[in-house]
Amino acid sequence: MAHIYEGDSRAFAVVFDRHGAAAFSLAYRICGRRGLAEDVVQEAFLTLWRARGRYDRARGSVRTWILTLVHHRAVDVLRHELATSSRDIHDDGLSALLPAGELTDAEAERRSDAALVRGAIEELPAEQRQVIELAYFGGFTHSELAEMLEIPAGTVKGRMRLGLGKLRLALGEAADAVL
Amino acid sequence: MSERGCGNDAAAYALGALDAAEVEAFERHLESCAVCRDEVAEFSGVVAALPMAVPQHPLPRGLRRRVLREIRADPPTLAKRRPARVPGWTMQRFAVAAVAAAVTVGIVVGVSSGGGPRLIRASVGQATLRVSSGRADLVVEHLPPPPSHKIYELWLERGSGPPQPSTLFSVSNADRADIGVPGNVRGVTRVLVTEEPAGGTSRPTDAPVIVATLS
Repeated sequence: MAHIYEGDSRAFAVVFDRHGAAAFSLAYRICGRRGLAEDVVQEAFLTLWRARGRYDRARGSVRTWILTLVHHRAVDVLRHELATSSRDIHDDGLSALLPAGELTDAEAERRSDAALVRGAIEELPAEQRQVIELAYFGGFTHSELAEMLEIPAGTVKGRMRLGLGKLRLALGEAADAVL
Repeated sequence: MSERGCGNDAAAYALGALDAAEVEAFERHLESCAVCRDEVAEFSGVVAALPMAVPQHPLPRGLRRRVLREIRADPPTLAKRRPARVPGWTMQRFAVAAVAAAVTVGIVVGVSSGGGPRLIRASVGQATLRVSSGRADLVVEHLPPPPSHKIYELWLERGSGPPQPSTLFSVSNADRADIGVPGNVRGVTRVLVTEEPAGGTSRPTDAPVIVATLS
């Protein structure tokens, strides 16, 4: 990151190669459209480039920063799309997943952590998993979820709290490791 | 409300699922509640792990080339090194309000350790600047949301130097929000807000919608 701070675009390319696919995958998961996801990734990395002098290691990893930028921007785009069109956001045919292929140690560790997170989410009671996924990946507020699910807003927030608490226990230090 | 009397807002906050007005109220609450601060810290760690559960896709062809081309074409001006206040990074969201008509903005900046905050009204836009112990916050009321693919960017001017980019924020649908200005604002003479392309810029490209002079 120090080289990027100095304006080294080659160092930035390394960061993009390391985190670009994860950024695109998150954007695509949220936006549901390839074109929107590409725009989100492009904007997020441009923001990272312009804000590079403000990176503070103590506040999280570069990966966490990038994925937070992507998440924030993707939710903004999704909400804008939903506000200006129908809520019919759908997959536009992107189906290829990253091949298992030859994995670097770092990538293998990442996939192991990913399996841990996925497993922890799947272990949640359905109603807790539902509100967490709809809020984080769907960009819905608790009040929108309450209306959608026809349950009190306090119940939505309670399920979020219970679910995140269980994930916290299940993930333990793995959650800290990504920060 | 929970047994602690603090409600369940920490989890919803960490997930970005509070409405803008609730974000503002909860962030005020966080200033005085260590229990909720701890919960937010714990839940934020969990939320930061959620992207790992997403199915991984290869990068679309051409995206890398487009991003790097844009980076190389971007002016080399560096932002001042300071901790970034990136939306959601620390789960402190930029909550701003959207009401179509008037703009009321308050900026809070800290200057003295003993005399309490100093409040300054903005000369452009309806704004108040509060200064306390070198820290600043921007309180926004009735600021229209930026157009699609635009964002608000906050700038700090020191003397006759060019405005330095400070932070980005967006506007959602409530009528009031506080935005913390990252870093120390000692020596800052003016605080500006402009509307910029999403992602921000290294120099203002438009006339400011808010100007607050600290003198």
